Amino acid sequence: MRSDRAAEPPPSGTTLASGARDSSSVALSPGALGKLCGILRIPLYGGTFAALSLAYFTLVIVAFGDLSAGGRGFEFVSVPLDRMFDRTGAFTFEPVARLIVPGATLLLSPINLAVVGALSILAGMNLTVAFASLREPRACRISRTGSVLSGFPALLAGGACCAPAILLVLGIQASSLLIGLFRILIPVSFVLLAAALKFALDRTDVEHLRS
Amino acid sequence: MNRTSRSMAAFFVPVIGIAAVGHLIGAPGGDLVDSLPLADEPYVLGDPIVAYRSFMMSGGPPPDGIPSIDQPSFVEAHEVDMAPGDMVIGFVHEGESRAYPQSILVYHEIVNDQVGGLNVAVTYCPLTATAQGFLRGEATLGVSGQLLNSNMVMYDRESGSYFSQIAATGLNGTLEGRTLQEVGLIWTTWERWRAVHPDTKVLSDRTGYLRNYARDPYGSYNPPGGYYTENGTIFPLMHQSSEHHLKTMVVGARTSERSVHFILNELASARVLRSPSFVAAYDRDLHTGFVYQVDDASPEVEALDDGNFRVGDGSYAADALPLRQVVAVQAFFFAWHAFYPNSEVARSDA
Repeated sequence: MRSDRAAEPPPSGTTLASGARDSSSVALSPGALGKLCGILRIPLYGGTFAALSLAYFTLVIVAFGDLSAGGRGFEFVSVPLDRMFDRTGAFTFEPVARLIVPGATLLLSPINLAVVGALSILAGMNLTVAFASLREPRACRISRTGSVLSGFPALLAGGACCAPAILLVLGIQASSLLIGLFRILIPVSFVLLAAALKFALDRTDVEHLRS
Repeated sequence: MNRTSRSMAAFFVPVIGIAAVGHLIGAPGGDLVDSLPLADEPYVLGDPIVAYRSFMMSGGPPPDGIPSIDQPSFVEAHEVDMAPGDMVIGFVHEGESRAYPQSILVYHEIVNDQVGGLNVAVTYCPLTATAQGFLRGEATLGVSGQLLNSNMVMYDRESGSYFSQIAATGLNGTLEGRTLQEVGLIWTTWERWRAVHPDTKVLSDRTGYLRNYARDPYGSYNPPGGYYTENGTIFPLMHQSSEHHLKTMVVGARTSERSVHFILNELASARVLRSPSFVAAYDRDLHTGFVYQVDDASPEVEALDDGNFRVGDGSYAADALPLRQVVAVQAFFFAWHAFYPNSEVARSDA
């Protein structure tokens, strides 16, 4: 719950209310990255970031097909590591190991993991800042609609890997243009997520945030 | 560039860079060596090749992004763990019988194999449910990543020419307009195939690639569901018809002059169906059809109670009628119609 005090602009140089936060680093880093570190050091938002990033990572890995249901017994198989550079899609790559456990199969593709991991960190940051701005609007000069929309780029990357399924569900027939767009969704997602994050951080006053 | 921008760039550029390097690796070869066995007469086409080429589009994956199996290994029938209703693609040559599980082919689409001394490419397109075999000589076929009428476009790794699977015809390069030599494959259930070919070998899931072969990304045949039963398609078609459910299974065939299709369930009921130029006989053991060329002088074909067919004074199995057999291809109706909109239509052989 937000206290009335949170609505009042604190005097310059005041420290944050949460004892777990290191306000000095925020003061020393006025840029976006410094603000981000400041937000993530607040236990509530640090935990939110970790949870959202992990959830997003899991969802996208499932959408990529690298984690899926189906599997009997236990098995671990690997293939030569140089296979990791073989593309299976515009920005998806061959797995080099497969782990089967009862009910699930995990395909380990190092480049997919790196790409999805980076996307998940960006998406987690965006969603955490959006959450913070919704929870403490006085600290963030972003409308509620803007906060919600800032999470939209995170959906794009998930769509990149399962375009046919999405089109079938939506009843939309693919065109060369649409397939071309799907092929660049991952780099587009990176750019949009980074831009959205920068936009949100520029309008966020970390010292107003309350855990 | 300020410190924040540099920090963010240092974090994300390597990731994008790794992906971009991989993006540049792997493109079809271009050596102009033609060792693919080709037909003397090309198949009839529903549209000019230039129209096919302009309608061809990317399905998403790059060339060989769907990797063919080039060094297949096989196991005995009793070693596999398949349900009776699981779909397989069957092929027999010189007494050697092979079953290629649909659950594996859905991820690879092409197996460059040798069966009974014959070099053959066993191909399967999940979007059109077409299983077709082609002689390959010393060449190997790969998956180009392109689609034509929602159907796989293969490429010859030696010449670089692209081939439509259903049309079996070269779309570009040195082999443009040439037709591959096709062999008949059987699309049936594991239970039916094993009953007819108990000594069959089965493609192993040790393919050299790592996939979850227990999960079909499009849906399921056992039980039927997902894309395989939806009355819709994902990619555009040159010709469309609402005459049948789009995923109705047909038995099609074509020669250099004509094409035909028979609705599989109608054929199963009638057991013999005839069009002006073709006759189809139903094989009730494998739930498939075999197609023969006929003309006005051809004898009538009559279904017998024992599952065979009377032609003249003799009794013959569905795959051995004393007529000129042509390669039969099972396909979803929408796919056959997209390629052969003027396909002959069957009627019961009275």
